[in-house]
Amino acid sequence: MKRLLNLEEEGEDHHHQKMMMMMKKQRSILSKTEFSNLNEDMLFEILKHVDAPTLAKASCVNKKWQKTSNDERLWEIICTRHWVNIGCPEAQVRSVVLAFGGFRLLHSLYLRPVLKATALSQNQSSTIPTKWGKDEVHLSLSLLSIRYYEMMDCNYKRRQK
Amino acid sequence: MKREHQQQSSNSSTVTGSASAAMGSVSVSGKNKMWQEEKERSLQPDAGVDELLAVLGYKVKTSDMADVAQKLEQLEMAMGTVQETEIISHLSSDTVHFNPSDLSTWVQSMLSEINPLPNSDLISSSSSQHIDDPVTVLATQSCSFQDLGSDDLRVIPGGAICAPEREKKRLKPSSPTQSSSALTRPVILVDSQENGIRLVHTLLACAEAIQQENFQLAGTLVKQVGLLAISQAGAMRKVATHFAEALARRIYRFYPEDTLDSSSISELLELHFYETCPYLKFAHFTANQAILEAFQGESHVHVIDFSMKQGIQWPALIQALALRPGGPPTFRLTAIGPPQPDNTDTLQQVGCRLAHLAETVHIEFEYRSFVANSLADINAEMLNLRSGEAVAVNSVFELHRLLARPGAIERVLNSIRRMKPKIVTIVEQEANHNGSVFLDRFTESLHYYSTLFDSLEGGGGGGGSTSEDQMMSEVYLGKQICNVVACEGLERVERHETLSQWRIRMGSAGFNPVHLGSNAFKQASMLLSLFGGVAGYRVEENQGCLMLGWHTRPLIATSAWKLGPVADLVEFS
Repeated sequence: MKRLLNLEEEGEDHHHQKMMMMMKKQRSILSKTEFSNLNEDMLFEILKHVDAPTLAKASCVNKKWQKTSNDERLWEIICTRHWVNIGCPEAQVRSVVLAFGGFRLLHSLYLRPVLKATALSQNQSSTIPTKWGKDEVHLSLSLLSIRYYEMMDCNYKRRQK
Repeated sequence: MKREHQQQSSNSSTVTGSASAAMGSVSVSGKNKMWQEEKERSLQPDAGVDELLAVLGYKVKTSDMADVAQKLEQLEMAMGTVQETEIISHLSSDTVHFNPSDLSTWVQSMLSEINPLPNSDLISSSSSQHIDDPVTVLATQSCSFQDLGSDDLRVIPGGAICAPEREKKRLKPSSPTQSSSALTRPVILVDSQENGIRLVHTLLACAEAIQQENFQLAGTLVKQVGLLAISQAGAMRKVATHFAEALARRIYRFYPEDTLDSSSISELLELHFYETCPYLKFAHFTANQAILEAFQGESHVHVIDFSMKQGIQWPALIQALALRPGGPPTFRLTAIGPPQPDNTDTLQQVGCRLAHLAETVHIEFEYRSFVANSLADINAEMLNLRSGEAVAVNSVFELHRLLARPGAIERVLNSIRRMKPKIVTIVEQEANHNGSVFLDRFTESLHYYSTLFDSLEGGGGGGGSTSEDQMMSEVYLGKQICNVVACEGLERVERHETLSQWRIRMGSAGFNPVHLGSNAFKQASMLLSLFGGVAGYRVEENQGCLMLGWHTRPLIATSAWKLGPVADLVEFS
């Protein structure tokens, strides 16, 4: 229940409101069941609407929540929700990102630091801006591909031997 | 509080230890404050421990300071004159120091080990003098130190004890004969800045001596540099050490061997350099951006890379091509590289990895590699260029090597022309290390590499580099320094030239500049913000070219070129 209140505080975003409504509905249906026993699909639906820190926290609740929160599709939503149209179809982006390590990795290793660093260097507060420009996205994607290549080295050499 | 405690403890130990010295008769009960009754203090063997050193854990009597300072100075000189590698490693080995407070005696023991100077004379001769003479006080102090219970006077402290002493202060040597001054607090000057200036002057003087072929003077000066370098800390020390080594090699004709091994080692070092600082990343990102923009709308693209190394520039380009609006083109990559030791074909291995990466993002990829001793051995016909494909030529820190051999650069630029590239991307160091006068080259490179080392110290690690990376980067740069300063003729390959010089060269070879767009600038700035951007790295735009620098000094420059009209071209065969 506390968690609900926190989420409420976090956003005037209608996503959160929508989620609140769903939660209330859920609560009324499952009034005797614990929150953490939530149906996986239901959880997935709910987590579609949260922001990145919340999703990350959600993965720390228990094993079931971790499994659901680490779903690439959720992180894809997190990543693509804010970025401007980078010009190529979603499916293309998805295949490239998944090949190089996934959206969750992309977000935590590159997107978030790049956005934070850019915000800082422009003398703004270090909060993540709500619109992610092409350059940030491209830079993060490039860095992800370089990382994949560097990691490939170890695996590749092992395979060769 | 600490000082008092020490005073008390040293008081008590005198009481327990045998007071065989002439000082023993003096009352030890006095808890005289250090800043009063100086004279009385000078009579007490263990009061008045210097507070600054006490903080470090050394119990040195204020009255001893002058002597200790002088001995440290002598020690330093002695250390400097002996061959670096032998003695320093000996000193810094893991020997245990038992009584760090016994500063005076260990310095003494070090001195007698390294350089049997008649320092003991100082002690023995003055022991017969009158008590009031501070020199005697010094001498008898030393004796009483012995009595204080540190039995093993021959214990040699580790280098760790040495270092903080030096970096924190430089004790000004004052001769013990300045007796009256011993009564006042001795002066401790923090003159590392002064030493820094002296260091630079000595380096320049040494270079000038070499220029005038006065190798004897140069030899003396280079030793001086070694001594002064020890007194510095951080970037200055490292730069000075590398330059001193390079100068020494030049003076004594001990040139660095350019074995085949060194190319694989330098590739390894370059990888570490890649992680530590943004220079290579900047080079790759800006070049890739120029290539991407030139390849817009092309369905078959071919990149010819003169600086393949480990191929780390290309994953980002492959990814960008994969996400190109309108679909990816077919991608051909031709690599030209030097021969490797023991015939391992690293270029082929790199190609395999890149092919694997291209496969995961469904890009049609073709790879070919050429091994050549020099870029001048390659011509356009070998490369099997096909019609309908857009060609890009890429060179990151490679072209300047051709300047060692006359005519080579013209030949290469000519072959590039024959490849009919859509774009040629060149990244080079922004410095003139190819002047004909040695002294000018030296001065230029001193400034350049000082700035570079500063940036290594000051810039953030980009969230991924380790101190090992930093060390390797410094070795990598050190090799360059060696080459610029110590080598000549064909061996001096690090012949950097400035952007303006390259502009002239490219212009006369028939190339026109292509402006790097704002996308490249933005990406570069963003990349730098990851490296603690506000710290000091700066991206500058210079007539369409991008330069990365540290504070106000640009260090590398990326430029892009396309073919100019054929009319004003001089053909070289």
